[in-house]
Amino acid sequence: MFLQRLKLIQFKNYLQKEFAFGRGFNCLSGSNGMGKTNVLEAICYLCLTKSCRGLQDRQLVLHGKDFFRLEGDFGKEDFSVKAEEKLEVVAKVIPGKRKEISLNGVPYTRLADHVGCIPLVFIAPEDHLLVMEGGEVRRRFLDLSLSQIDHTYLYELMKYNKLVKQRNYALKQFAEQKRFDATLIQGYNSQIAPLGDLIFHKRREFVEEFLPHFLYYHSLITGGKEEVSCVYRSSLEQAGMAELLREQLDRDRLLQRTSMGVHRDDLLFSLSRKPLRKFGSQGQIKSFVLALKLAQYRLLFEKKKVKPLLLLDDLFDKLDASRVLNLLQLLSKEPFGQIFITHTESEALRILFAESGIESPVHYCIEPGSVQKL
Amino acid sequence: MNYPSKFLEDAVMAFASLPGIGKKTALRLVLHLLQQDKDKVDEFMQAISKMRHQLKHCKKCHNISDQELCNICANPSRDPSLICVVENLRDLIQIENTGTYKGLYHVLGGIINPLEGIGPEQLNIQSLIQRSKEKEVKELIMAISPTIEGDTTIFYIARLAQRPELKISVLARGISFGGELEYADEITLSRSIKARRPYGQT
Repeated sequence: MFLQRLKLIQFKNYLQKEFAFGRGFNCLSGSNGMGKTNVLEAICYLCLTKSCRGLQDRQLVLHGKDFFRLEGDFGKEDFSVKAEEKLEVVAKVIPGKRKEISLNGVPYTRLADHVGCIPLVFIAPEDHLLVMEGGEVRRRFLDLSLSQIDHTYLYELMKYNKLVKQRNYALKQFAEQKRFDATLIQGYNSQIAPLGDLIFHKRREFVEEFLPHFLYYHSLITGGKEEVSCVYRSSLEQAGMAELLREQLDRDRLLQRTSMGVHRDDLLFSLSRKPLRKFGSQGQIKSFVLALKLAQYRLLFEKKKVKPLLLLDDLFDKLDASRVLNLLQLLSKEPFGQIFITHTESEALRILFAESGIESPVHYCIEPGSVQKL
Repeated sequence: MNYPSKFLEDAVMAFASLPGIGKKTALRLVLHLLQQDKDKVDEFMQAISKMRHQLKHCKKCHNISDQELCNICANPSRDPSLICVVENLRDLIQIENTGTYKGLYHVLGGIINPLEGIGPEQLNIQSLIQRSKEKEVKELIMAISPTIEGDTTIFYIARLAQRPELKISVLARGISFGGELEYADEITLSRSIKARRPYGQT
């Protein structure tokens, strides 16, 4: 996939701006706070129907305005017939009132249907949180990958989450009212169980396929000197979801929530058989999450048979010159396609590309009040 | 808006509290009533007041009714072996309007949704279970939307009501009548394929 044209209207700090991008590297340079990342945010929104940084719609509107609109003209290369399909995605959003996303002029009745249509991988400075924070961010990483690959996964997950929430509320009410209705809980269990088993199965299969790619990219980035692993942990490894719900019922009633299930899953990252979070250095963690993201890209590419868009926000920050050059060489080869890079120094970027011998990129320089194509 | 009279303002506000009516429409209605004969307005008021005070709920199916039993339950030509379970009056009226259903109803008054604080005990579920135990009842038709809350409610009732002679069915789910496959979403379509039926039985 590649993005040819992007138009932002009243989005973040842009009143109205249009960009034309190339099929290889695209660079956005400018000082801090000029809105480089906002352009990436807009691309993300058109692909995933929401902010990649967890921002609310009302935080995406230009200050003082009541709506924003994004337009993107995407091209989809079909390798089998060597033809290109055009996809025009438009997002019209009035926060709190209306949110419409349309593909080639036809609005989606369910936004989730769009997720995965244009696969995307976003590499951001805050990716180290994948290692540092709780299981929720790692489940989100799994879910974002799987929902782009598997069309029904997102529905199953949303249904599962809602059912668990209802079950938890029921448990809470029983505790407050000092009574218990086994039939109602059975009703939730019987709906949750098949979904939980399905999600567990899909996640396990995903991690199995993901792991070789991860190890490949990690050794490529670090020179293969470190022993790393990424293991999927789920309470469903011991027993099926139905059994867990049944066995844990007394505990669930006490805790007033559902204590076991795929909503408690996690990925264990380790370095030389020790937990990465405790024993990894800044640089080791950075290489680790970069390999995670590149493997995510590779698997999306294999499954979707199209090249995802790759967004690199401020990646070269904190990396030494030789690593940056290595990374650029890697990204300029197959399977990588269209890539967006943000950087604070426009001159440094220019020199970097000149040294690497890669064809010079489309380069936008973002300055106060103006965006210039170099 | 400024009104020349406090009485007028109160009346406008009363109308504006109704769903779908804004202040402008409310003012138009109030000015219309102002031009009517006083008797007519009294009649109008009485119609509303009577509706609220005199209207009963059928003791059998919880449909609205003027008597103890609603006119569906009291109608001897309706088939008492069938009970169609609906969420609310609106759904009952919609099914009645199809003119194809000849059995009786049971109005739950909502569906189970702990998030909104609605548990089984707030709904007319106990009376339904009692009814379903009567010998003449052969089938419960669950005419409840296939949402998470709807499915939970169906499961709950089915579990409590089950006995060997009682058939429990749900409405058919799949491609809508006159719908084109092209516009059906994948989930509906895959469900329709799983629940396909022998040709000629529709």
